[in-house]
Amino acid sequence: MTDLTKNIEQAAAQIRQAYASGQPAQPIRDLLPQDSIEAAYAVQKLNSDIWAEQGRRVVGVKAGLTSKSVQNQLGVDQPDFGLLYADTFVCDGDEVALDAVLQPKVEAEVALVLKADIDVANPTVVDVISAVDYALPAIEIVGSRIANWDISIVDTIADNASCGLFVLGCTPKKLTDLDLRLCGMVMERRGEQISSGAGQACLGNPLNAAVWLAKTFVENGTPLRKGDIILTGALGPMVQVAPGDTIEARISGLGSVNVSFAKEQA
Amino acid sequence: MSLANNELNLHALAELVDNAAHKAQAIAQLSAQGESLSLEQAYKVQDLSVARRISRGEKQVGIKMGFTSRAKMIQMGVEDMIWGPLTDQMFIEEGGEVSLERFIHPRVEPEIAFLLNKPLSGNVTLAEAMAAVEAVAPALEVIDSRYDNFKFSLEDVVADNCSSSGFTIGAWQAPDANLANLGMVMEFDGKAVQIGSSAAILGNPYRSLAAAARVAGEAGKTLPAGSIVLAGASTAAQAMTPNTHVRLVCEGLGVAEFNIK
Repeated sequence: MTDLTKNIEQAAAQIRQAYASGQPAQPIRDLLPQDSIEAAYAVQKLNSDIWAEQGRRVVGVKAGLTSKSVQNQLGVDQPDFGLLYADTFVCDGDEVALDAVLQPKVEAEVALVLKADIDVANPTVVDVISAVDYALPAIEIVGSRIANWDISIVDTIADNASCGLFVLGCTPKKLTDLDLRLCGMVMERRGEQISSGAGQACLGNPLNAAVWLAKTFVENGTPLRKGDIILTGALGPMVQVAPGDTIEARISGLGSVNVSFAKEQA
Repeated sequence: MSLANNELNLHALAELVDNAAHKAQAIAQLSAQGESLSLEQAYKVQDLSVARRISRGEKQVGIKMGFTSRAKMIQMGVEDMIWGPLTDQMFIEEGGEVSLERFIHPRVEPEIAFLLNKPLSGNVTLAEAMAAVEAVAPALEVIDSRYDNFKFSLEDVVADNCSSSGFTIGAWQAPDANLANLGMVMEFDGKAVQIGSSAAILGNPYRSLAAAARVAGEAGKTLPAGSIVLAGASTAAQAMTPNTHVRLVCEGLGVAEFNIK
């Protein structure tokens, strides 16, 4: 076993340990070659293979780092991706336990659901639009298994793109009825505004993020399939949450979605 | 200090801020100059400085609201919006050009504008405020604090006419759209530089209009029919740069644009 393979395994184990213990891990970036996105995805893949063996069901994908300001912050010029699991889905309006996600933050997003596979080389936005069944409003509860969110691009990719839980609204809309670039977004905590933005904040248009994901997954040999959920990326700044918070996100044309966080440990 | 002296002082301060605006030359904050104005006195200075503009032949065409986002209010440690008059001299032709020389360190912000078809003053309901609107439009406001480094206290900025310096208004349209959550993208030379939602304006720009009527009433004034009300910014302000095309694209309302020379 090469040193790199060993280090990838160690990084993956460190992240699994953080999940298991509920204690965030130290950054894993120093275990990998500097800024190696490839090695970071190898860590992510190692864990997703283990989770697949355990029977966890993948229901879709998410794009992360889709805003220019976050990309600048991390010194990258491309988004990243992570996998969505059925066991991380939360019903609209439900309450989430305090220990369900490590260091939770929320962001409002457009979710797309596919009615067809996107299995062509270099998919275009037309391929994506044709494959989308409907869009839903979503709140992504991101989390980090890395202590204090002290993440580089390598840390977050290795950590399944900082996935936590995702909440979907229940008001499906057709793309023909939406302007996903200009749709306004507002997120409130118990009625107090905590974030606002618009579709443009997500790579210029949430559909651009979907194109990037579709293309990336074709290249990786695991094309997006009919029924997959795509979380396209934040429409405004993400916000830290605290016990007892109730969060609502509204996206113009798409409706609203709610989630709350338990006040006390169950 | 006697009342007479105090009055004299307010006139002197009005001249100071008005000259700074007129000549596009920054001055030290009034608070840093040892002037401790009350908010009421600050509005009096604003009044007196606008009177100087009127005496030069400018006409008041409306008002602008400021600090209309909760975040901004918290940042400034205030609990209410601020407001200042707009004059015809501040108007920038939509699609036209504006010279940087008019300003000190101007910034531009994306806004929603209202045109009134009947007078508004005092405590009005949201329904009454909405019924007084002839048209709505996307708008760009140029703010240009007359103070060094764009730094000021609440009283400083009020005395300085709430930094209002310029505005342009896109095509007016019938007020039948829901304005509560419109995506707003401000572009410099076609690149998005600020992205937000009209929800950042008090949760709904119509609330800002009702607030405009209230603050005008509190000052003993009425917003006459034909007034323009700039409801407040949906994003942070962006510093203006030379030779730049500035455009706001607003969901459902279209565009407002000008060129900086």
